[in-house]
Amino acid sequence: MFLCIMGVIYLMLVVSLIVAIFFLLSFIWATKNGQYDDDYTPSVRILFDDDEPINNNSNSESNGSSEV
Amino acid sequence: MTQQPCYHCGDSIIGKEINFDGKSFCCNGCKSVYELLSTNDLGAFYTIENNAGTKPKKDDQHKYRFLDVEGIRSKYIHFEDDTSLHITLFLPQIHCSSCIYLLEHIHKLDPRITSCQVNFAKREATLIIKKTLPVSELAIILDKIGYAPNFGNKEQQQKKRNYQYLYKLGVAGFAFGSIMLWSVPEHIGMGDESIGFRKFTSYLSFLISLPVLLYSANDYFISAFKALRYKSLNLDVPIALGIVALYLQSCATIFSGNGSGYMDSFAGFVFFLLIGKWFQSKTYQSLSFERDYTAYFPVAVSKKDGDKEEIVEIEKIIVNDVISIRNNEVLPCDAILLDDSIKVDYSFVTGESIPITKKKGDFVYAGGKLIGKKSDFHVQRKSNRSHLTQLWNETTKKQEVETSGTDSFSLYFLIGVLIVSTVSGIAWYFITPERSVEIVVAVLIVACPCALALSKPFTYGNIMRSLGRRKLYLKNVDVIPSLNSITDIVFDKTGTLTTGSSNQIELVGNKLSLEQKSAILLLANSSTHPLSKSIVRALQHEVSSTDELVNFEEHEGEGILGEINGISYRIGASKFVHSEATSQENETASHVSGNGQYLGKFVFNSEFRSGIMEMLDALGNNYTVHILSGDKDKDKENLMQEVPTLTELHFNQSPKEKLLYIHRLQAQNKSIMMIGDGLNDAGALDAADVGIAISEDIFRFTPSSDGILDADELFRLPYLLTTAAHAKTVLMVCYVFSIVYNLVGLTFAISGHLTPLIAAILMPLSSISIVLISTILTAPKEN
Repeated sequence: MFLCIMGVIYLMLVVSLIVAIFFLLSFIWATKNGQYDDDYTPSVRILFDDDEPINNNSNSESNGSSEV
Repeated sequence: MTQQPCYHCGDSIIGKEINFDGKSFCCNGCKSVYELLSTNDLGAFYTIENNAGTKPKKDDQHKYRFLDVEGIRSKYIHFEDDTSLHITLFLPQIHCSSCIYLLEHIHKLDPRITSCQVNFAKREATLIIKKTLPVSELAIILDKIGYAPNFGNKEQQQKKRNYQYLYKLGVAGFAFGSIMLWSVPEHIGMGDESIGFRKFTSYLSFLISLPVLLYSANDYFISAFKALRYKSLNLDVPIALGIVALYLQSCATIFSGNGSGYMDSFAGFVFFLLIGKWFQSKTYQSLSFERDYTAYFPVAVSKKDGDKEEIVEIEKIIVNDVISIRNNEVLPCDAILLDDSIKVDYSFVTGESIPITKKKGDFVYAGGKLIGKKSDFHVQRKSNRSHLTQLWNETTKKQEVETSGTDSFSLYFLIGVLIVSTVSGIAWYFITPERSVEIVVAVLIVACPCALALSKPFTYGNIMRSLGRRKLYLKNVDVIPSLNSITDIVFDKTGTLTTGSSNQIELVGNKLSLEQKSAILLLANSSTHPLSKSIVRALQHEVSSTDELVNFEEHEGEGILGEINGISYRIGASKFVHSEATSQENETASHVSGNGQYLGKFVFNSEFRSGIMEMLDALGNNYTVHILSGDKDKDKENLMQEVPTLTELHFNQSPKEKLLYIHRLQAQNKSIMMIGDGLNDAGALDAADVGIAISEDIFRFTPSSDGILDADELFRLPYLLTTAAHAKTVLMVCYVFSIVYNLVGLTFAISGHLTPLIAAILMPLSSISIVLISTILTAPKEN
């Protein structure tokens, strides 16, 4: 019984470490990607009404790398 | 009469308002931007924030032509294919959410713009445009709606984006969380039954904390090492010692098989230290001091090669080249004029507001702005060694008194801590030798003056932000202590105490008919004299003219004349217009006549900003107030009467004299704050202990200043100084708190009642409480 508990704890420990490493890596990835560069603009951008669909620009937009 | 502010830019409307679409505007520029936006379905710009617009500046469209030169263009373009290109521009005018809306919908204004993405923090816009749109035209479009791109020293600012500290924070946080999690079984006593498990977790902790020691905390070691190498101490020395002690102690416990040590406290300690640092850097980031004087310099110039004219970068101009400069362009290097006479405006360099006439063959210094027709120059000196840079270098470089972070007080404290820990270690060696190391570590950690170290950056950082909310932007926190030791305040008058560009103009004499007004406008518009320009500014709201001006003549120092619709008009000195009316003494006026008949005169009043007299009066109680002015002494009486405490008034001061004046005061061991507009007193601003530049639009930057103050907030100066002085009090409270904290902790540690673990838990706690105290005490009071 005791050994069983210890086994689970070893397992949990390894799993927690893997999860933590995953989060650390994703944090570094996000930072490198510039997601922490500007914490203001996106919060404003989301509130703009799409008053009309962006006409005829959609073609050219697809070959650009604009992320919308 | 209270008027609505301009619907576009929010400025109060001076003179006649322009009505359009049921809205009022202050000038035609604002109106046309509104028109442009509303006809392109961008009216929502005004609904997001009121009066969000930026006044467009009328400027020469030629100035962006350099953007089409390949070498320059490629600096801003980061992607290019056959049909489109991606360009990132620095737009310092971005200031609110409406700006983001407008810029991100800019494709509605020109179909050749595909998309635009704003980075508000960096005030940058990344645009994707079709190749059919030249970059220079894009710049003109942006300029037209009030976002003039800035091309000063772009490459440098772009490179600097360092994520290192975020990574360090991440690694420390990761180790802290993980080690804490698997220490839980041990803390609740589970590990006692299984030596194997305890060993496993402790070795794992050791492994994970290695990167914390070697990577996350390395800044402290480097800084401490540097200090020790120069045989001095800084606050990073005990922090580094504490980190090392805690780490070694933990390692010793781990490898002697006595448990997992205090690796969680160790990682947590580093994590909290780094959070403090990150908080600090966030504070600095919110201030954009990115522009330097190079922003004023032209980037490119047109060079003449025989009959051909090509645009080249400034750096490529060499001696003996021939360059041609247009109206309103700045001469980038010392040169000899090859064409007939022109005027040069040196107001940026010397503060002289009246342009100087230069004749063929004259030597012209760099930094002058050409007024008149396009002219050729023969380059005499390369641009980097020019007069302009020399003027800046001439100003004494402030010696870097880098005691910040280690003010003498915490330095003594630090030495004390080191002595106490050694002494108690030795003492305990004689009592119970095996506890000696433990005691030393506990003492070092609990007494580590990190709370003390945090007090200053946090308090000053908070004060700096609360000053920023009042629109006083300081260059760095070191300005605050300098602000508090000020004894004398020196003001520049023109443009600082008085309003700069919008001189008040008063028409004395008969009422002019509309026809006369439009004629005067037309005539004045042809002249580049500052007074003519003021007249134009005053009249352009009321009339416009399509008539033709003939026989225009400008008489140097006298006035201008010209014929409109068969009537000859003269504007200028009273003698010039043949009138008996004389200007009153110390009054600046332009007289006007039509067909020899005297019509009246324009009187130019420089107007004091509101609340200035009260401010000077209030400052007079605590400081000696000086006023320097490049002008005639026409306001002397006025000032002396309103502010009786004012005794130091000096007029007719050249920029050089202003600088010498500051030096003279400093020689008397006085601490000077200089407040000026940064145009003709750059040297004085730099020489003063604290130089504050007054700015009418906040994005104008003065390289030599320690801070920028919004012109409309100048009257709040006494309040701002009190706020800065408040920093001192808060700092004292924090100091007292952390010292008491440390002393109490020390007594427990020395007497052996404190284990290193508790000490390590207490240490970040003390830092956090300092942060709280400082934040609460410096919280801005609503007025």
